[in-house]
Amino acid sequence: MSHGHDDPTLHPEVQMSTSRGYFSGFAISSILMFVATFLVASHAVPPFGLLMVIAVCAGIAIIAQIYFLLHIDVSEHNIWNTVALVLFMPLFLITIGLTWWMFSQLYLRTMIMPGMMH
Amino acid sequence: MLVDLAGGWNPMLGRLAWSQIPYDNPILAPLFVAVVIGAVLVLGLITYYGKWTYLWKEWLTTVDHKKLGVMYILIGLVMLFRGFIDGLMIRTQQAWAVGPHSSGVFGATHGYLTPFHFGQVYSAHGVIMILLAATPLLVGFMNIIVPIQIGARDMAYPYLNALGLWFTAAAGALIMISLFVGDFAHNGWFGYAPIFELQYSPGVGVDYWIWTMELLALGTTLGGINILATIIKMRAPGMTWGRLPIFVWASLASNVIALTSFPALQVALALVAADRYLGAHFFTAGLGGNLMLYTNLFWIWGHPEVYFVILPAFGMMSEIFPTFSEKPLFGYMTMVLASMAIAGVSWLVWLHHFFTMGAGPYVNSAFSVATMLVGIPTGVKVFNWAFTMYRGRLTFNAAMLWAIGALFLLLVGGLTGMMLAVPAINYMVHNSVFVVAHFHSMLLTIVYAIFASVIYWFPKVFGFKLNEFWAKTMFWLFSAGTALVFVPMYMLGFMGMTRRLDYVFNTAWHPYLLVMEFGIVVYTLSVLAFFALLYVSVRDHASNQVGADAWGTSRSLEWLTHSPVPFYNFAVLPHVNARDEVAWRRDNGIDHVQPDHYEDIHMPNNTGVAIVLGGLTFVLGFALVWRIWWLCAFSLLAIIALVIYRSFKGDPGYIITAAELEQMEKAAMRREARIGKQQHRVGSGVLGEAIAYARSDLPSLASQPGSTGGLDHRS
Repeated sequence: MSHGHDDPTLHPEVQMSTSRGYFSGFAISSILMFVATFLVASHAVPPFGLLMVIAVCAGIAIIAQIYFLLHIDVSEHNIWNTVALVLFMPLFLITIGLTWWMFSQLYLRTMIMPGMMH
Repeated sequence: MLVDLAGGWNPMLGRLAWSQIPYDNPILAPLFVAVVIGAVLVLGLITYYGKWTYLWKEWLTTVDHKKLGVMYILIGLVMLFRGFIDGLMIRTQQAWAVGPHSSGVFGATHGYLTPFHFGQVYSAHGVIMILLAATPLLVGFMNIIVPIQIGARDMAYPYLNALGLWFTAAAGALIMISLFVGDFAHNGWFGYAPIFELQYSPGVGVDYWIWTMELLALGTTLGGINILATIIKMRAPGMTWGRLPIFVWASLASNVIALTSFPALQVALALVAADRYLGAHFFTAGLGGNLMLYTNLFWIWGHPEVYFVILPAFGMMSEIFPTFSEKPLFGYMTMVLASMAIAGVSWLVWLHHFFTMGAGPYVNSAFSVATMLVGIPTGVKVFNWAFTMYRGRLTFNAAMLWAIGALFLLLVGGLTGMMLAVPAINYMVHNSVFVVAHFHSMLLTIVYAIFASVIYWFPKVFGFKLNEFWAKTMFWLFSAGTALVFVPMYMLGFMGMTRRLDYVFNTAWHPYLLVMEFGIVVYTLSVLAFFALLYVSVRDHASNQVGADAWGTSRSLEWLTHSPVPFYNFAVLPHVNARDEVAWRRDNGIDHVQPDHYEDIHMPNNTGVAIVLGGLTFVLGFALVWRIWWLCAFSLLAIIALVIYRSFKGDPGYIITAAELEQMEKAAMRREARIGKQQHRVGSGVLGEAIAYARSDLPSLASQPGSTGGLDHRS
């Protein structure tokens, strides 16, 4: 019961978080989202290039959110965040990787080419 | 408006109109009258007996994990009943509407349900049974049992726990109100693209489905976070990872799945909502949409979800078999590894729900092999349970019967699952009722484990046992119903009957469908037996009272504290010496050692914020379904304001003083003495090394990170 009386603001994960971190995370993801929306709405890039640009934006946004908002890193005093990262990485690779694999096989057999679906 | 809505829209009421109330429906209108009369009766009785204050203070605002668990289980049982009625309606329609000469009533050409209504019934049946019956029942048991089994006073986040419950209740209310206001989805519980798109389903049914599922996903995720944090951080001194009861291990594995998979569902449904509300094209048939991407995203959650519901059931069976075999569980370490392996493999198999998509031999083979891998850890578990019972002193009481029933159904469901894992077979029986019979075998495994647990843990929570006769009667009726419904269903599956038929064209199937209809009547009798069980048990509760160790052969830590469990769980946190701590204490003669002094306990306060937030989320869901934008904005802002208010206010909690605690403990011990099954032999035969309770002059082991590592093989 000793932790019941602790001041929650003294926990290392609370100590590490700053409003500047949260605002940078929010700002970076908002900017990336607006860039992606603008590119889609304005048809400025050909379809295949658009997919690539959006994917890169999404990737950067994920990293920014994981780092700034979720404070997931590999530092030693945040061991549970590292555990979460270790759990997350394989799941991320499995879901994205296997989906990519099964749909590329599907497209191969149904002759749908990504970027030509208009 | 970004999309065109059929049937008009006005700023005040959104899509809501009198024509949306199905008062002309011959099934729903009488039901609505009955529900209103029933509700008035219940509310009137509460007022007449003056129980509103009690209800508000003891239940609606509680943060006690046991009461929240009981309410979860109540929601689960009510929704199980509703889902059963849906099942009864499906079976009756299919037994009736066979062949061109079958009669039709209530506007249906054949049978008594129109195809549109039938579609809503099976969709609601699926959503309710999986997400509103099985999940709340299991979450309820995890809520009640996990903290007591690890020697904690409450969950890590009591307020979050209440929030999870009230989100679940809000989702249940939302799906229930779809009966009487508007309609429900007709796209099956998992949804098909593009039929759920606005142009093919212009009504509000799909919107009800989206927001019900979103709310349930949110509630279950919050619950999962809570149980994980509780297991990791709140274990009693000496409760190392190697001493955790298997039910706790199963809960851990299960909630790792919940935490990692439910976001996939939320994303999938949010994208459907974007299609329907904003006119996006994620899953449309044209304009760059991809139909199969929805199926893919859904089952990325959907398959882990089915293991999320089966793993706690496995944990329950692992607690019940040893107790009534009077032996420790066979193969503890392999059981832990098997649970974790099932959780891990759950992420690699989702494509087997759509082998027929046509992703080709390499993809199908890979997912086929991954699916068959699940058979290895599951087989390990089955053999472990068999070896636990082997040469044990078996007691065939009602709880044990239900657990053994679960074991047999697991074999049936598991072996047919192995058949379905072969793509060649899967192409033959895809979308047939063989698949339906398979997953009902698995889901019924969970139902059997749940009823076993209801009987097994009921005395711990309420202090008296359920009636054995009626529990066994219910078991045999339920088992007869299961055999009569699902054996013909497997056979019809092989004969090529597809699922979800509102009209059965082949009259050769009629005899089988009639047998299934008879089976569902037997099921109905078992439901009546359950009501009799509750009535008789509560009526005779004075003569069925039990002490701390209700079964006399119990093994894990929850049986150490009093029955019914006091709201603080343990007056003094126990020191855990072994796996199966209660059995160890009994063997070493320290099972009746009482603490020599008490200390103040810090407990969380009740809060009304959680139920108000639940109510507001229901309003938000309802407003989103009917597109009443001002109400959406109002409820959303209220939710945000309330969350911020509560976060800054915090909860200082309150203190139970040592003197108060001693009084309550003495009352509990007097109760035990009166029941007479327990005799106090304070301090007799204590071994040299045994520690019954953590001493305040020593540092608490639970707060040292080092004590959580290392597996202890002493049992």
